[in-house]
Amino acid sequence: MTDRAPTVDPGPAPGASPAGEEFIAPGHSLESVTDKISHLVLTRRTPRGWWIGFAISFLLAMLLVPSVGVLLAKGTGVWGLNVPVGWAFAIINFVWWIGIGHAGTLISAILLLLRQEWRTSINRFAEAMTLFAVTCAGLYPLLHMGRPWLFYWLLPYPNTMGTWPQFRSPLVWDVFAVTTYATVSALFWYVGLIPDFATLRDRAKSLPFKRVYGILALGWRGAARHWDRYETAYLLLAGLATPLVVSVHTVVSFDFAAGIVPGWHATIFPPYFVAGAIFAGFAMVLTLAIPLRQFYDLGDFITRRHLENMGKVLLATGLIVAYGYAMEFFFGWYSGSEYEHSMLSNRLSGPYRNYFFALMVCNVLAPQLLWIKRCRTHMGWLFLVAMFVNVGMWLERFVIVVVSLSRDFLPSSWDLYEPTKWDWGLYVGTIGLFLTLIFLFIRFLPVISIFEMRTLAPQSSEGNGDEADEAADREGGAS
Amino acid sequence: MSAPQTDVRGSIEGVQRRALLVAVAAGVPALVGAVFQTDQFLRSWLLAFLFWMTFPMGSLGLSMLHHLTGGSWGLTIRRLLEAAMRTLPWMALLFVPIALGVGRLYPWADADVVAADAVLQKKEAYLNVPFWLVRAVVFFGVWIGVSRIVARTVTQQDRTGDPKLAHRLRMLAGPALGVYALTMTFASVDWGMSLEPHWFSTIYGVLFIVGQGLGTLCLSVVMGSWMARREPFSRWIQPKHFHDLGNLMLAFVLLWAYVSFSQYLIIWSGNLAEETPWYIHRTGHGWQAIAIVLIVFHFAVPFLVLLSRRTKRGARNLAVVAVALLFLRFVDVFWLIAPAFHTEGLHVSWLDVVVPVAVGGFWVAIFFRGLKGRPLISLQDAQLQGALEDTATRPLPEVGSSHG
Repeated sequence: MTDRAPTVDPGPAPGASPAGEEFIAPGHSLESVTDKISHLVLTRRTPRGWWIGFAISFLLAMLLVPSVGVLLAKGTGVWGLNVPVGWAFAIINFVWWIGIGHAGTLISAILLLLRQEWRTSINRFAEAMTLFAVTCAGLYPLLHMGRPWLFYWLLPYPNTMGTWPQFRSPLVWDVFAVTTYATVSALFWYVGLIPDFATLRDRAKSLPFKRVYGILALGWRGAARHWDRYETAYLLLAGLATPLVVSVHTVVSFDFAAGIVPGWHATIFPPYFVAGAIFAGFAMVLTLAIPLRQFYDLGDFITRRHLENMGKVLLATGLIVAYGYAMEFFFGWYSGSEYEHSMLSNRLSGPYRNYFFALMVCNVLAPQLLWIKRCRTHMGWLFLVAMFVNVGMWLERFVIVVVSLSRDFLPSSWDLYEPTKWDWGLYVGTIGLFLTLIFLFIRFLPVISIFEMRTLAPQSSEGNGDEADEAADREGGAS
Repeated sequence: MSAPQTDVRGSIEGVQRRALLVAVAAGVPALVGAVFQTDQFLRSWLLAFLFWMTFPMGSLGLSMLHHLTGGSWGLTIRRLLEAAMRTLPWMALLFVPIALGVGRLYPWADADVVAADAVLQKKEAYLNVPFWLVRAVVFFGVWIGVSRIVARTVTQQDRTGDPKLAHRLRMLAGPALGVYALTMTFASVDWGMSLEPHWFSTIYGVLFIVGQGLGTLCLSVVMGSWMARREPFSRWIQPKHFHDLGNLMLAFVLLWAYVSFSQYLIIWSGNLAEETPWYIHRTGHGWQAIAIVLIVFHFAVPFLVLLSRRTKRGARNLAVVAVALLFLRFVDVFWLIAPAFHTEGLHVSWLDVVVPVAVGGFWVAIFFRGLKGRPLISLQDAQLQGALEDTATRPLPEVGSSHG
């Protein structure tokens, strides 16, 4: 019978073919997996392409120096902000980066709990991507404060000023949500790296590398007790991280929805933002995975089925986002409220209508290509759709923030928003920072989890499809 | 698990007979109510209709989701879902009283009310009786159409075991799921939200969809535990099947709380005159008692109880939770609908009990009739064979023929 093992399977399918045969190319042994992945870090000479990519990214990142410097010297007035549009690039880019940062935890935690083995080859760099994206995101609210050195005023601590954060404000919830998220993601990533650090320590030839990896490996010797504790810790972290996948973007959506600006105040915002975040995150994972797979020849580990599965997640979350747009539109019309009506006409025919139509093309039309299997499995098409989504998710936040704010209740206070070079400089600078960190990560850390990939190799008990073992595992697995 | 007691076929007929008896016993006083308290009868009928729609519609959603994603959670309950979907034409019949009573149920259908209300005049393009009727016809047409296609494909699958049919179902599932989400959203606006025609909330459709998913999972657990006590299913249905369903119940309980709380928080925080009345009607004048019951027993208690492995792996324990949650689903639908009619204060009519029981008896009878016609587990499904192989103690095909 041809019914394949389910792809996005919310439960175990006992007896279905072990995913190993499709999630790792045939012919790999435990050793070849280790060799191939650790080789990227240890023995291979740094390829010229890496240097070029790194140099460009680094140059872009250096844009942060003038952008932040001028901002701190002169204040947020150097941005294009004005009175109705007090939140613009800083919030757009914050939400954009935070959204991108969602795929990592989703892939690592939720797919782990759902026993989706295909996560194995993509979780490591998805987690790294999450961390770097959250780093970039975190910069914006800090800089938007104008006096970032006073950031600790956001935290509730006893102080002589007698002030306390306003706990009814979602912006304060953001502080907690984002810092928790960053902490747990970093821990999760690091804990997952420990066994691989040990592998690198054992294989490194130069002493400094041995030392550094050795310190990072925390004395890991691969003893049975180590593995036992490791597995427990990893599962617990996964459990902790799972609610965070939902909570962070829910709180971000409250930043808007708790206000009353038409275009912000919609009850659909929480689930629609969460779906949008996963949508954006998977698009970025694909954006990174496809070139990585191509240039480092990792097609054996990041197989077409991985990419196809990611394409399916992209399509599904894209449809949820489209449902969100549809609801906003329908209820805006159904409400009978003149403010809602003018919000819709402002989107469709206002000064920023081109952004809105571009958004529809990027986020609603382009992902429909993924209904076609040929597109889901073709690197070029997938990459193209992912790029559309990256742009589309930025446009979405632009439409939500700028289009809504520029024309609120009182026509006398309407004004248009125009980003300045410093807005752009900061934005491009964070993209540079993100890519720089990604390049460093590729060079110095195993981009794919070595020990987890080994479990997919045919020699391992799991890769062998040892039924009894797997069944026992499932029985005791996620509750 | 207790020892198997009876053969399934006999039990099905027994349940069917008893359900019909209940329907008649509750139906007679309901009819009396229809004559003497027509308005209240229609309101209770709407409540009953929306509650019992949970199962055919939730089944449509869940079975499409399962065809799309696979997973062993759905294999043992797939036939139950399909039988529930086959009750949709009867649900269309049950909709007739609502269509006839539209003028008494919905303020926007009353010309005098609309004439005095500027907002309703603006909404007339959507909220008018002919268009509302056309939409209802379209909804039922689409739902019955999808359930027909599924039923036909599945019957063929049982006969031939052609793997192409599983593929065809999977191809249907994606678009069907999208159509379900959209049509159910608009149906929830038409039948529920427009009772208070000024109010709107973009998450309302999701609230209904999640409620239907949860209700249907609960029904599946109850039915699964019922089957597990009977031959020949006692040999197939395993603790792990309940464990999976229990996990899904937990997920849906959380999702329900998430969606409900999000809506509340956003409306509370915005504090706008066109939105808050909906919650003022539901959290004042005695109605808050029901709101608190929902928070405690539709969220807090089941959340804690369903965290436990022991609850989820025991058919009986999980069935108890499921029955309780089914009752709370009813309370939730009541809380969504009834305060619209009784803004002056908490009001429970005897018809709110009798009519849902009568409709329920009728629904259960036709649901069980649908179960009788075909094997209760889809044997030809390749995935299923995989799922049962390690637990079955006998060759599989016998089950199918024993009551095909």
